[in-house]
Amino acid sequence: MSSGAGIYFDGVTSARREVVVELAPAGLKISSRDGKSLAEWPYNEIEELDARDNVLRLGRLGSTTLERLEIRDPAFAAEVDEHAAYVDRTGSLRQRQRLRVIVWTVVATASLLLVAWFGVPAIAARLTPLLPISVERKLGDAVDVQVRGMLDTGKHDTAFECGTAPAEIPGRNALNKVMQRLEVAAALPIPLRTSVVRRDEANAIALPGGRVYVFRGLIDKAENADEIAGVIAHEIGHVAHRDGTRAILEGAGLSFLFGMLLGDFVGGGAVVFAAKSVLQSSYTREAETAADSYGTDLMNKADADARALANMLEKIGGATEPGMTILMDHPETKARVAAIRRNAASRPSSPLLEPSEWAALKKICSGL
Amino acid sequence: MASLDAGGIVTSGGVRFLGQRRSYWRLLIRGAALLMVTLGIYRFWLVTDVRRFLWSNTEIAGEPLEYTGTALELLIGFLVAIALLIPIYAGFFLAALDLGLLGKLSGLLAFAALGVLGQYAIYRARRYRLTRTIYRGLRFHQSGSAWSYAIRATLWWVATIVTLGLAYPFQMASLERYKMRNTFYGDLAGRFEASGFALLLRGLPMWLLFFAPLALAIRGFVGIDWQALIDAIAQGGDDVMSKIEGGNPGLGSAIVFAMLMGGTSIVLGALLYPAFQALILRWWSSGLRFGGLEVRSRLRTRDVYGAYARFVGYASLFSIAMGIIGTIVLFMAGAVVGAALDTAEQITATLLLLVAYVITALGFSTIYRATVQLSLWQLGVESLELSGLSELEKVKAAGRPSSALGEGLADALNVGGY
Repeated sequence: MSSGAGIYFDGVTSARREVVVELAPAGLKISSRDGKSLAEWPYNEIEELDARDNVLRLGRLGSTTLERLEIRDPAFAAEVDEHAAYVDRTGSLRQRQRLRVIVWTVVATASLLLVAWFGVPAIAARLTPLLPISVERKLGDAVDVQVRGMLDTGKHDTAFECGTAPAEIPGRNALNKVMQRLEVAAALPIPLRTSVVRRDEANAIALPGGRVYVFRGLIDKAENADEIAGVIAHEIGHVAHRDGTRAILEGAGLSFLFGMLLGDFVGGGAVVFAAKSVLQSSYTREAETAADSYGTDLMNKADADARALANMLEKIGGATEPGMTILMDHPETKARVAAIRRNAASRPSSPLLEPSEWAALKKICSGL
Repeated sequence: MASLDAGGIVTSGGVRFLGQRRSYWRLLIRGAALLMVTLGIYRFWLVTDVRRFLWSNTEIAGEPLEYTGTALELLIGFLVAIALLIPIYAGFFLAALDLGLLGKLSGLLAFAALGVLGQYAIYRARRYRLTRTIYRGLRFHQSGSAWSYAIRATLWWVATIVTLGLAYPFQMASLERYKMRNTFYGDLAGRFEASGFALLLRGLPMWLLFFAPLALAIRGFVGIDWQALIDAIAQGGDDVMSKIEGGNPGLGSAIVFAMLMGGTSIVLGALLYPAFQALILRWWSSGLRFGGLEVRSRLRTRDVYGAYARFVGYASLFSIAMGIIGTIVLFMAGAVVGAALDTAEQITATLLLLVAYVITALGFSTIYRATVQLSLWQLGVESLELSGLSELEKVKAAGRPSSALGEGLADALNVGGY
């Protein structure tokens, strides 16, 4: 029967005892140097605890105190290892457990990504129609504050919205006339609030709750009222499909999913942002096609020229929303343009505005 | 070093750190790789491994510390924290939709509430770490109220911000006194004896070096005729600077002076940061007491600078390597794809960028941990001189392990420590 030296702490006081450890048939016998027995640990109740290399630290399984036995002689430590059931000096048991952890976390990650890619959009799409119109309008007003804050750089002396100054009123009236015709044809449950704003990009945006902003750049690029009406009809499509609300729900879901789980190890914020933009632009593409077909139908119904939307799309490279150019490229725009032309009514349309009204609309942002 | 007499009683001695830098690197690099493929879920295991390494390799008077926390406890603590935070976040989201006063204030309210909650989490997380720290078969533990600490800490932070940092030494001293008088090793009570005033005196030169140029910069910026500048820029053209100078003599040099002073302040701040950290660490360690056990730190400032120099060295090497790899990947991608990208290719490109960002961020964080963090731990503990170690011979067990909720909250709120 072999024995070796150890250091023993009884878990009740901090006293450090240099002890003799004996490998008895039933367990470890721990006794002080002068032969007094201190403890006996059965082999199946010994656990190995974390310690630095070359130190074997043992504890007693299920003990209420923190009894500790330390063995620093490698040869004797190996002998203890052979006897004690749960001591594993090679670390193969621990490695296998760790491998299991790794495999399961990778599986969890894959499932998380799948939820982000398919689950969140699906949930947002199911949830959006259930949202009452009143909530959507409130959401739209809250978003409006943010969006206006981002769009309105305040660098002009006049109001951000065009059509308020006396010289702009005729332009505003012309826009109202176009909107009147589109709204009657669309017959939406909510009133639309359309305005032209002083931004130089040739874009338009639709917010939840029926607010549509047309940028001045679009008015400048348009050659007739149907081209402007076409883009607005496309935006009405987003309002009717409640795309803005769905995007907000998706964004909230994604930032929650990733923001919470990623933690701060690498400053996950930027990853969240990038992930969101990649994921969301992939929803937007489908939403854009749907809005195109809605816009085409609406133009047909309003007895306007739906092909004008296709012409305008070609002019602005398919970028109907601000910042879309990055992910919108030529082959797709061509497909969109072709689809609109296919579905546009071939019968002649009735003009939306008189020539004088069209001239006024072009000057809606002229100021004073 | 610890010296043992025949009876095994430690009379005087110190603290040793026995960890191998190489094994710490290995642990961190493997951890970083796993963090990446698990989107960070592996962090609970990595944090536990890091603590085990640091604790078990730190020897006080010849006996190593032991960390008994597990990754599973941290994971559960995190999940509980998430369950508590979801309703709070949902509440703030709803409040933000309100168009009245509540909506306008909701951002501020959320900031304040999460700030207090963060301090609460810091105190609870400290309790978790202490009760998982075992030394000579006894555990450390912490009493006191986390809410009480959170309110003190928040008020002190407000004072520190209002006084531009001059209240910081007193904040540190007051909060450390609260923490340490609630800290126990077994039945041996801790306390904190360093004075905030002493720290203020030693830190004042650094404070002046940082704030004097900053004050000059702010005065310079306030003095600038902004309207003239905006007009000049709005006119546009090729030579904006000469137009500014033509319309307002002295404006250009005022801007240059203000920017120079701002830059000086930032550079001085970065250069002084290691010295500031060394000062705080030395002052803090020297204030620690457990009964008759007293601690003194002989940490040298130049060693802390050495740790940061190593960080800068490794980080530069890593940046160069990433730059070379990035160029090669870009070149190969460009050769394959050509000029026109379709949507799938653009998504691939965005994902590649994302992966590159994550690798870079993880790389820097790994280098920081392996150089600055490890060195500060090692230098911090090895520079300690303990007296009255005989106090450690007759301590009795006390205290129970606490839950990991604090750690989970701290993780979810991004306020953490080791």
